[in-house]
This record gives sequence, structure tokens and C-alpha cells, in this order.
Amino acid sequence: MSPQAAFPAGLTPTPSRSVSRWLKAAARETWFHVLGAVVLIIYITPFLWMILGSLRREVEIFQYTYPLTWRTFVPVEWSLKNFQDVLGLSPEGRAFGLNFGRALLNTALVSGAVVLSSLIFNTMGAYFFARLDFPYKGVLLLFVIATMLLPFEAVMVPLYIVVRSLGLQDSYWALILPWYASPFVIFALVQFFKEIPRELDEAAIIDGASYFGVLRHVVVPNAIPGLVTTALLEFQFIWNLFYWPLIAVGRKELQTIQVAIAQQTTQTQIYWGRIFAGSVLASVPVILLFLAMQRYYVKGVAMSGLKG
Amino acid sequence: MDAVAAREVALPRSWWTARRRGYLLALAFILPAVVNFVIFRYLPIFAAIRSSLWQYSLLGGYGEFIGLQAYLRMLEDPIFWKSLWVTTAYVLMKVPAQIVLSMGLALLLQRESRFTAVVRSAIFAPVVTSIVVISVIWALMYHVQLGLLNSIITSVGLPRIAFLSNPRLALVAIVIMMVWKEIGFSMIILMAGLKGIPDMYFEAARIDGASGWQQFWRITLPLLRRVLMFVVVTQTIFSFQVFVPVYTMTRGGPLDATKVIVYYIYQNGFLFQDMGYAAAISTVTLIVLLVVSAVQMWLLRSEVEY
Repeated sequence: MSPQAAFPAGLTPTPSRSVSRWLKAAARETWFHVLGAVVLIIYITPFLWMILGSLRREVEIFQYTYPLTWRTFVPVEWSLKNFQDVLGLSPEGRAFGLNFGRALLNTALVSGAVVLSSLIFNTMGAYFFARLDFPYKGVLLLFVIATMLLPFEAVMVPLYIVVRSLGLQDSYWALILPWYASPFVIFALVQFFKEIPRELDEAAIIDGASYFGVLRHVVVPNAIPGLVTTALLEFQFIWNLFYWPLIAVGRKELQTIQVAIAQQTTQTQIYWGRIFAGSVLASVPVILLFLAMQRYYVKGVAMSGLKG
Repeated sequence: MDAVAAREVALPRSWWTARRRGYLLALAFILPAVVNFVIFRYLPIFAAIRSSLWQYSLLGGYGEFIGLQAYLRMLEDPIFWKSLWVTTAYVLMKVPAQIVLSMGLALLLQRESRFTAVVRSAIFAPVVTSIVVISVIWALMYHVQLGLLNSIITSVGLPRIAFLSNPRLALVAIVIMMVWKEIGFSMIILMAGLKGIPDMYFEAARIDGASGWQQFWRITLPLLRRVLMFVVVTQTIFSFQVFVPVYTMTRGGPLDATKVIVYYIYQNGFLFQDMGYAAAISTVTLIVLLVVSAVQMWLLRSEVEY
């Protein structure tokens, strides 16, 4: 059957009709791309402005704001001075006691430690719920999931009281310990683990493997995508944490990068170039990491979202 | 017969049965997590309740029992009520705006192409960027004299806008920024939901001559209800806890116009050194949030199957 046969005689599409249909489709396509481009500009501009602003000299930053021209964005004189300042590599930076390098190191250290310990302990916990036998396991799961309902910001001040009475405030422990287990990660990993066939575990147990052996040699290798997703989520979460490091740690040597940046805005004289540079240091690596790992992350977020 | 009797006698003799040993081994796997939750999630709640009922200071610890005084003080504290109202206004503006816009973007960008992939990545970038960086950059974009937004506004001949120093605009400015930041998150969840709707429903509707709008109202929206509810629930809870933009951009001002509840808690606990009062507000906030999330969870239960 030829395509025309579908139309009754006299109603076959004429050339002018197909042109108008083509025009309509082209208009729709144009609209789609214009709308997409506007969204793109709205999203890219602040980042571009931040990155290009960090590469300007301080005096230049506001010189070209008015009137709006391409100079508003593109530096006249490119400079790495702001980065040298915040990293404490220049005399001015040192005079201000700026040491974002140390803050970045702290943040990386804390995030790394949390991701590592969270991988170990949450994996064990998820294995428990997905595979092991225990009386009242359902009640225990409820106990874990209920902590997810607790809005963390609302218990932050009392958490500080607890951490303080344990004598942990103002230490790396205060930044790491409260986060080494996460109900959300356990819950997500249980979903991933349940998709691994049980026969694999049973075969390993018959071969004489212990629970730990099964976890290490059967479950973990089969759940790598899930583990990567949750590790990424956890990393981003800890790296970007602000309220807790702000109240838990007072000593400057333990400051995280987010707190260091935020405190720059409270000075009487604000050095925006330095703030731009600090913001670039704190965010561009994470954004690049996530764009590279997007496939995993997007899947993980979508999954956790759908399964609640 | 003899063999069965022998086993019945043998089993309860030792406490250390194989099954019990299995339980203990299993317990070892969950114990570290449970210890964490007890100390760092459940204990703080009891600490909050306790320190709100006693006179409490960071240096002196627990003092005299004062009962519900902190809570009575809250009832008469106009700034507490103001902060509760500001937070509610924030949630009521932000959540609907974010849901509608992320729904629109999810529909616009669900087609697979290199262009949509780039736009999606751009929308997602602020989600993984820290809220500190975002609000610091936006504070400068909003700046009356130096800001990029005012540069754009004046370049088309309009007067400057004092986004953050005008009490009527400051909260709206924060809402706009936060919607911009968090839209990518809800967009992705909605996109995953859209992917889950079988194509044949739309094909059938098209054959029946349904327009795009009709398809959206009759198919997409009803089938997406569960996912939408999830986004609404989580966004409401997250939004209720907003703190960082207020801390970095406005410090609760101008004229308390942006003094949200968590900022007021922080102010009392760490700036005014009034931990007991801060804990009392935390406790009330916790109860409010638990009630809100319980109601929303209940709404979530009514799911549409497909």
C-alpha cells in the first residue's frame, strides 16, 4: 500500500500543504532552540561571570559593569593575582592570613574520610538488610529510615550540644563522625543489592565463604555502579556542607572551604576578586567531576527519587 | 523416633546455637550504623528537649529546671512568629514555582539530542555547586551599584532595583535564586518519571485526536502524580530548612524580611549564646516538619498504578 492510498481521492496532500506543514515544523523547531538557548544563557552566565571575574585584577572588576558591553565579562588584563592571594602565595594574601589551600585540603580530607567510611559502614548495613537473617529486622529498618525524616538543620544545634559533651568539637572528628553512616545511602544500597541474584551468595556460602567473604567477593563487585553513585552523592553532600562545619569548628586551621568563602563576605571591605577565585576553586572541580560522571549520578538521583 | 528425641534434647542445651551465632554475626554488620544513628540523630533530639526545659549554657551546662518557660517565651516572641511566617512565605513561593518550571523544562528537554544534553548539564551544574558559592555570586549579581543584573536592567533603560536591601524584594530575590539552583534536581526526577510512562498511551491519544494540552492534562499529569508528590514532599521539607542564602546574603534583614526559622535558631544559639531558647525553637521546628512530612507521606500513599 502506497502512502497516498490512505487518503481518499481528491484529498491527497498537495505540494502547498506539505510546504505549510514543513513551515510549521520549522517554526516549532526554531521555538524549541530559542527557548533552549535562553535557558542555557540564564544558567551559564553566572558561572562565566564568576570564572572570568576571578581572572581580573581587583580594580578592574567593577570598572566595566556599566554600561553593559562585552568588557563587562571579558578581562582587559588577565591575571592570576586573586588565586595567588586566596592561596596565601602573595604577600597581600599572607598579610590577610588567607589560606584557602588549607581550607581546600581540610574539605578534601573530610569528604574523602566520610566517603570512605560511609562506603564501608553503609555497605555493611545495606548487606544486613538485603541478605542477613535477624529477629525484628523490619523494626530495625524502620528505626533507620525514621532518621531520614529528621530534618538535619533542625537538630543541628542539639547535635552540637551532643558533640560538645563528647569533647569532639573543634576537631576533624566533629566533621567526620556524625556522617559516617547515612540512612539514605543504606536505603539506596539495599535497592541495588536486592537486584543481585541470591543464588550467587548461596553458591559462595556452599563453597565455604563467610558473610564477609560473600559481601566482599560477590555483592560488592556486582554493585559497583550503585556504590559509585552513592559515593558521588555523599562526596558532593559533604563537600558542600556549610551549617555544620560553621558551628562545629571554630579554629581557623580546621575551616572548610565553604565557611572560608562565606566569611569573606562579612569583612568590612569585601575583595570580590578573591571571593570569585575562592568560589572557582571550591566549585569548578566538583562540577567537572559531576559532568564526567553524569550518567551514574543522574541515574542514582532518579532512582532514589522514584523509590522514595 | 530415637533420633528425633535425641535432637530435641541436644538443641536447647547450649546458648551458643548456630542460629544465635548467625544473629550475632549479622548484628556486627549493622551495629556501626546503629551506633551512629543513636548518638548523632536520636540523642540530639533528646538533648534538644532536655536543654529546652533546663537553664542551659555552653559554659555552665545544665542549670535550674525551668519547664516550659522557653516555649511560653516563644509564644510571646514577635520575631519568632515573624520568622515562622517568613519561612512559610518562602516555601509557598518557592515550591510551586520550582515544580511548575521544572515540569516545563522536563517536557521541553526530554528529547534526546546533543543540544538538550548541553542544556540539561547547564541546568544541573548549580545543583552540585555549593549553596555558599551560588549565594555569594548571586549577592553580587543582585548588588545595587555593582551588580550584573542592574547593569542589564539599566542597559534597557529601566531604573536600578535594590534587590536585597528592599524589604519587599529581598525574600523574592532569594526565592528566585534558590529556584534557579534547585530546579535541576526536580527536573531530573520528573524526567525519569516521564520516561516511565509507556509511549503507547500517547500514541493512542494521538490517534484519537487529542491535542498536546489534552495529552498533558489527561495522561502525563495523572500518571506522574506519584513522582510529583515525591518532589513536592521533599522540596517542602528542604525549603523549610533554608539557611545559607540568608546567612550569606542578608543576615535576616532588611527589617527581618528574610529572617527564616533556621537563621533565628542560629542567631539565638550562637550569636546571642541562648542555647536553651535555640533548642526550644529547634524542637518546635522539628515537630512542625514531622507533621508536615507525615501529612505529605500520607498523601503520597494514594498512588496511581500503570
